[in-house]
Amino acid sequence: MTSSAPASRRPAAEPAGPPPVRPRRGDGPGRVSRRRRARTGWLFASPALLIISAVTVFPVLFSVLLSFAEVRLEYGGFSIRSLTGDHYAAVLSSPEWRQALLFTFGFTVVTVLLELVLGTAAALVLERLGAARGWVLAVLLLPWALINVVAAQLWGYLFNGTYGGLTWLFEQLLGHQPDILGQPASAMGAMVVVDVWKTTPFVAIVVLAGLMLIPGDVYEAAEIDGAGTWTTFWKVTLPQLRPIMAIAVLFRILQAFGIFDLPFVLTQGGPGTATESLAILGYKTLFQNLAIGRGAAVATTTAVIVISCCLLFLRVFKAQADEGGRA
Amino acid sequence: MALSRRTLLAGAVAAGAGLTSGCAGKPLDTLLTQAAQVPRTPATLTWWVSEIPARNGPVVADLIIRAFERRHPHIHVRKSNALSATDANRAAVTTQLAGASPTPDVYLGDTTWPAQFGTNSLALPLQTLLPKDFWSAYPAALRRVSEYRGAVYALPFYTDSAFLFYRKDLLAKHGRPVPRTWEELLRTARTIQRAGDAAYGFLWQGSVSESLTCNVAEFLADAQAPVLDGAGRVALHGPGAERAFALMREFTETGVTPSTVATYAEADSQDAFTGGRGVFLRNWSYAWGNAADRSASKVAGRVGVAPRPGFEGDGPRGVSCAGGWSNFVNPNSRHLGAAVAFARFCAGEEAQLILLKHAGVIPALEEVLTRPEARAVGDPTLTRVRELHLVARPVQTPYYPQVSKALYTRANAVIGGRATPAQALRAARADIRTALEGRAL
Repeated sequence: MTSSAPASRRPAAEPAGPPPVRPRRGDGPGRVSRRRRARTGWLFASPALLIISAVTVFPVLFSVLLSFAEVRLEYGGFSIRSLTGDHYAAVLSSPEWRQALLFTFGFTVVTVLLELVLGTAAALVLERLGAARGWVLAVLLLPWALINVVAAQLWGYLFNGTYGGLTWLFEQLLGHQPDILGQPASAMGAMVVVDVWKTTPFVAIVVLAGLMLIPGDVYEAAEIDGAGTWTTFWKVTLPQLRPIMAIAVLFRILQAFGIFDLPFVLTQGGPGTATESLAILGYKTLFQNLAIGRGAAVATTTAVIVISCCLLFLRVFKAQADEGGRA
Repeated sequence: MALSRRTLLAGAVAAGAGLTSGCAGKPLDTLLTQAAQVPRTPATLTWWVSEIPARNGPVVADLIIRAFERRHPHIHVRKSNALSATDANRAAVTTQLAGASPTPDVYLGDTTWPAQFGTNSLALPLQTLLPKDFWSAYPAALRRVSEYRGAVYALPFYTDSAFLFYRKDLLAKHGRPVPRTWEELLRTARTIQRAGDAAYGFLWQGSVSESLTCNVAEFLADAQAPVLDGAGRVALHGPGAERAFALMREFTETGVTPSTVATYAEADSQDAFTGGRGVFLRNWSYAWGNAADRSASKVAGRVGVAPRPGFEGDGPRGVSCAGGWSNFVNPNSRHLGAAVAFARFCAGEEAQLILLKHAGVIPALEEVLTRPEARAVGDPTLTRVRELHLVARPVQTPYYPQVSKALYTRANAVIGGRATPAQALRAARADIRTALEGRAL
């Protein structure tokens, strides 16, 4: 702001350059004051730090501790015996866990991909809308704004085998009553549909924000170079959107991997254990079976896997971005 | 920064260790001494109770609380509303109890909980506080599920018994008797379905939940096939077990039961029946009240109740899973004496009579069912309950949830046609064995 003003207009009393260090009253060297300022900073930050450690750091560490421990509930409390890796051995070798991992992983890959493609498409359409954009956006965001459990319950009614609207519709089309949530493939498909319906708006709005940040001159340059719509999208828009898409994908991986409410309300993990996600398995292990150590081990392994997935994704993304930059 | 992060970690671990050692248990003897005396000083109890089905308006739990407070004027009971779904309810109450919370003092829990809750110190063992002949007044199956290794962890409150509900009008139209065997039920249902008088023949519960385990336990008992043998090892084999599993498949294969039964919980099956879409329904006794309610049921006045059929031959008929709800005492309660007194009051005559008159459930105290009041209520499930043959689920293990899961997931595959009865039984046997050894998740 002021730097753009011509130097000659500046008042003579305030020369350009950094302001001189004014001597402070009764002050020692600058280091001491910096230390004191740091101390004040810590003092102000300490309530927040305490709260964060109480609600985040402590529970996470405690949960990791429990995953190694032999926990025994007792009258008036609990005791922790030997620390071993037994729970991990039990979890990793159990067919339930492998099944849950497979479902959760598949669900994550399919929904994130679908949501990314559909969300980007929706964002591209939204960007072209003029005055109507606000309204369309509001309507589009409705599913996202709904509480997960409510959305799942709504779809549960639609899929219901007796009076569900979708069941009826399929019955008219196919001639027989389909058993949407009663067969593994269709139950998984139904769950993907609900998640895509619910979460695509989130991806759309994130990508839309990215689109609006792309400066207009790159498009002008592309036009001058004679690039068509398709080429412009692949060579200009998409590379520019990459960072923000990466954020959307990371968010989605984290959420999809922890999916609980959809299968819990729609199928309780069934049919059989076809839609039992890792989160549901952890819940059942901990709260239904009261296997505290094993439940904690399920939770910890899930966290490790999802963090690894995110780091791997970031690394691949960064490598690709670097390559793209060099090309 | 690195240093302070390390400090934080160390602090958290130290706090964890402190919490661990600070939560050491209390000796049982001290608790039982406290529990043996009803306090003379004022006390307030919290009772964790899900909604008890009401027959005629008043909130049943409130009536019982008021009756108790009249007897013990210095003890005040506060209601804490529990969830209605059993599994969610268990998760909610165990979270509180495992955290050593002194409330709720008394909690209403499922009859499948005692072994698991007792083993995990979430329920006070009550046998030393009960008179020797306490159980003589209650169904034997209820005693079997309330005890684990000689300790009593739950006091009876009310039972859920399974019945066969049927459409009187449709049977009359086709000149059919109430079926006494499954084979007969299949024939009758198909006749009525073919005539276009009902979309579904027989409705029951096949979703992956405890409801399906109850149905499986009943079919197995019909075929005289036990889940566990006398030594507590997995049995579940032989022609009886296959007959039971094959029957479940036959229902869906022939279309007598819709294939969507694989997703049916109790409410779904009941909705289909009260909506007029089915001929027969297997459900708990409370379904009578809903089926007879003219504002909620299209078939009110046209519904009959009978014991469940059995297989052709000389096997048992009228088998019913011993379901129901009992009161447990929280060992961390600050008013153990008052809590035990309240749980015992709920199992006693006065409270049981209130249940008989005002609740749509079957009181646990068998004696009240013989009273003239029982006939006056006009609920056929109350008068016919003594014809039933109650069977317990294999709950005598702290790993019952895993055993139940093995049964319901494998049976669900048979219903959906994804496994043959033989395959499902083999898989269920393996799963139950893993569960009983404590190796299942």
